[in-house]
Parts: sequence; structure tokens; C-alpha cells
Amino acid sequence: MILGKTNYQNAAGDTFNITKFQYYLSNFSLTDSSGKVIKLSSECFLIDEGNAASKEFTFANLPAGSYKSISFMIGVDSLLNCTGAQNGSLDPINGMFWTWNSGYIMLKLEGTSPSSHSPGHMIQFHIGGYRAPHMTQRWVTLPYTIKCGQLGFIARIRLSADIYTLLNGISFHELAGFMTPGTAADRIADNYQHMFSVKN
Amino acid sequence: MAHKAIYLLFAFCLWLLIIGKAGKPGPEYYTLKLPDSLPKPVYDFSKNPLTKEGIALGRYLFYDSKLSRDSSVSCGFCHQQFAAFGHFDHALSHGIMGRVTSRSVPTLFNLIWQKDFMWDGGVNHLEVQPISPITNEDEMGMDLKELITRLQGNKTYKRMFKEAFGTEEVNSQRMLKALSQFMATMISFESKYDSVMRREPGVTFTAEEQGGYKTFQQKCASCHKEPFFTDFSMRNNGLPYLPSMNDIGRMKITNNAADYLRFKVPSLRNVLVSSPYMHDGRFFDIFQVFAMYDHGQEKGNTIDPLLKNGIPLSEKEQRQLYMFLNTLTDKKFINDKDLKEIMIED
Repeated sequence: MILGKTNYQNAAGDTFNITKFQYYLSNFSLTDSSGKVIKLSSECFLIDEGNAASKEFTFANLPAGSYKSISFMIGVDSLLNCTGAQNGSLDPINGMFWTWNSGYIMLKLEGTSPSSHSPGHMIQFHIGGYRAPHMTQRWVTLPYTIKCGQLGFIARIRLSADIYTLLNGISFHELAGFMTPGTAADRIADNYQHMFSVKN
Repeated sequence: MAHKAIYLLFAFCLWLLIIGKAGKPGPEYYTLKLPDSLPKPVYDFSKNPLTKEGIALGRYLFYDSKLSRDSSVSCGFCHQQFAAFGHFDHALSHGIMGRVTSRSVPTLFNLIWQKDFMWDGGVNHLEVQPISPITNEDEMGMDLKELITRLQGNKTYKRMFKEAFGTEEVNSQRMLKALSQFMATMISFESKYDSVMRREPGVTFTAEEQGGYKTFQQKCASCHKEPFFTDFSMRNNGLPYLPSMNDIGRMKITNNAADYLRFKVPSLRNVLVSSPYMHDGRFFDIFQVFAMYDHGQEKGNTIDPLLKNGIPLSEKEQRQLYMFLNTLTDKKFINDKDLKEIMIED
């Protein structure tokens, strides 16, 4: 995806462009052919579509084995949403934390579309919510086959996110934005659960 | 001669050791003095142990107007100690460039027992609470990233962050933890009421106060529960809705119609020094509050079951209640010199 200038068109026929696309991924793990799960990192990654490097993940020191899939969570663990001031990728200076209704914005999509009735034809989706019934974290498992001959293998994984899947069923004419926990956020979270693929 | 040189060398090394230690003291741990009868605080001190230096930094931040966009408003600007850290004489909180918000300034004390913050309970942790007024454009109007950059360029902060956290690194997490340390020391359990409850020699309620306490226990205590004088819940107390304010309360946070007009039950501690009252500060006099419960409620769908019949209060009960509430003023707290405003010099 190219931020800024490129025009895209969604299934509802709205043309749009994207100026900002950021999201959190966390709890990465690999599953080997026997079904054993190897945790890769407890880190929470903030991915920025404008920064290609942030979409590549390097996990060092993998145990030997034959792996068949990779799993991760889209979003930030509920506990980290309610245990006070965090640092690093979770630092609120990153603009991914709601101040008036505490909790992380799991995914942020901003741009413009002529179909939007918002001022400046803006589209603004800040998707979050960590408490039942409006939880927006989603688990993803993708096929990913690698063989590690010996301990110490380094896995480099490149992920790709499909914006059309994210916006499936959304018409900017009807919904140009959503910035609180709620049903519309849950629906978009159900979409983003399916938007990823492994590129390499 | 050789011996003398060795002694001198030894003395010199010892001197270096002492100087070295004196130059780099670690932060000094601080223990809050809390009455034994209280439940365990909700705030997890294991993740942010109190230190003298951390509290000092938090206090400095609290009273520093550089935390606002045009350096005109500090936390202490609205949270005034003599008003139990509420805002004296202002119905609605106001911020930079004369801007006004839609809610009144809550008092600050006993925060370490509080699970959620703000009138609608939208903020879920003491440490993230300050981000809200700092960044709200009608309050301090400051971008958090810009604020951290501003503090990073300040010599005093570099020194104070180092003293509190070991290195000069200024980041939002450290800033928020330091502010929380200072706010954690705002403890109010030294009122006359507390002395009476602790059976301190020579302290008793007058007959009027005792009468008021009885009325309080019968008619107020289920929501304003002792010893905090709040049960920390959110309820619709029947305060009439004002179309010009259009404040839907807790529903703004949950999108749930059952939360319409529900607001946090405030503590009654220090209540007589912290007027005005209600989430929008519409009552400047506590007798207006009594009158509202007695005959001025608006009983919509979400009115609290405990309050749906109002609280009938006779003139005598109101007078005695006033006398009792007066015993909840903690003069030690509102005059505590360790919480007092400090001069920020650079």
C-alpha cells in the first residue's frame, strides 16, 4: 500500500486514499509439525504502513524443528490496557492510546474519501476496546513452513495486510469513521482478523 | 615512613569512597503512613515503589505550568490544596486561553484505593489519569510528545529524573509514575470524624454532629460508604439533566443506555471545603444538594433504585447533617506542607 497519493476503491465503490495506517501485533509464536508451540517474543510491535521495516519481524535463537504455522495477536493484551503507564511501543506519545476512555487503539486507519460526509471528507477509524462485550484483539494463525536444522536459527518474517479485507462491507457514505469501543469496531476487528498473509 | 604513606593512601581511598557515595545516593524509599483499619490499596506499589525523590519530582511536575501548551496552567492550578485539591469557586474546570470544559474539578485524595477515575470512570488507572487533562485541548492543551521533548531539554528535570529513576532519561512513563507517586501521598484520614472513630482521648461528637452522623448512616451511607465516604460506584442520583450541557455521563464511555446519566459517587470527605458540587458544579451550597435529594430530583429510567424515592430530609436533619459533614474536613491534609505548592524557577 502507498500512503498519501494513491487512490483505491472499495467494494462499495468509494474511492479513497490512506494517509495513516498503524496497528499493534503481539504474542508471536510458531507451531511445529507435532503441534508444539514455541513462543517467539513477548514484545508488542507497533507497525506503521509508512515504514516498511516495521512490517518485518526477526526472531533469533529458534530451537531446531520443523514449523508449519505462525500465530500472533492483533492488538494489545487486555492486561496491558489497564495496568498503568507503559513504555516503548506502548508509550502513549505514539498516539495509540485513548486518554478519555483508557485503552489502546489496536488499529488506526486515516485518510479521505469523496463519499465521506465528515469535514474534509475524512475517514477515521480508531479501532479499540479491551473489555467485554467490545473486545477488538484478534488471534491470527497463518501457514508458515520452515525447517530449522539446528538451534540458533533466525526467522525473518514479512507480513502483508490487505486493506480491502479490512474494509470489507464498509461504505464510507454510511460509516466514515469510528473512534470508540463498540459494535462497529468489533465488526472491523472481525475483518482485520483475516487481512494478513505471510509474504516470504 | 612507608607506614605513614600507606595510612595516607588508605585515608585518601576512604575519603574517595565517602565522596563517591555522597555524590551518587540512590533514591530513598518512602513508606506511606496509613491507618491499619484500611483495606489494601488498589494501586500496585510494587511496580512503582515510593521514593522521596520520586515524590519530589511528582510534586514539581504537579505544580509546573510548563506542562500546559502556553505554560499558563499547572495541575495545581485547578487542583487547589485548600479545597482538598478541588477547584474553589469554579463550577466547571477551565484551562488555557480561557477555555472551559463541561465538568467540575474532582477533589484529589485517597486515590490509591480508586479503581477508575473521572466523573464517568473512563480512565482505568491512576498512572494514565494525568494524560487526560494534560492533552485535553480545553485544559492544558499539550501534545504529550512535545511535552516530553520540552522536559528533556530542561536541566532541572534531567537532574530530578536522574535522582528519582537513576538516569537522566525523561519519558512519559517516568513522568506519569512520578506524578502518581506524589498523588499517592495525598491521604486524608485525619479529620475529627477519624479521631472520634479511633476513640482518641478528649475527642467526641457534639450532640448536633452525633445527630447528623445518625442521619448520614440512615440516609447516605449506602453510596457514600465509610471509611472512604464513597463506594466508588457510578449512579444516577436524580440530578436533573441540563440540555445546554448534554452530559450523558457513563454512557459516553460504555455506549450502554443503562449508563445514561450515571456519574461517579464522590467522597464526602472534605466536602464542605470543596464546593461546588455535582459533576457540573451546579450547586455552590451543600444545602442545595440536600434540597435536590429532598424534593428536586428528576426520576428518569436509570435513576438509582436506592434513590428513586428521594431522601426526605427535615430542616433539623439538614442542619445536623451539615454539622456532621463539617467533621469530615481534614485540616492536617489541606494544610500539609509536604503537599503545598512549590515555586518552579525555570
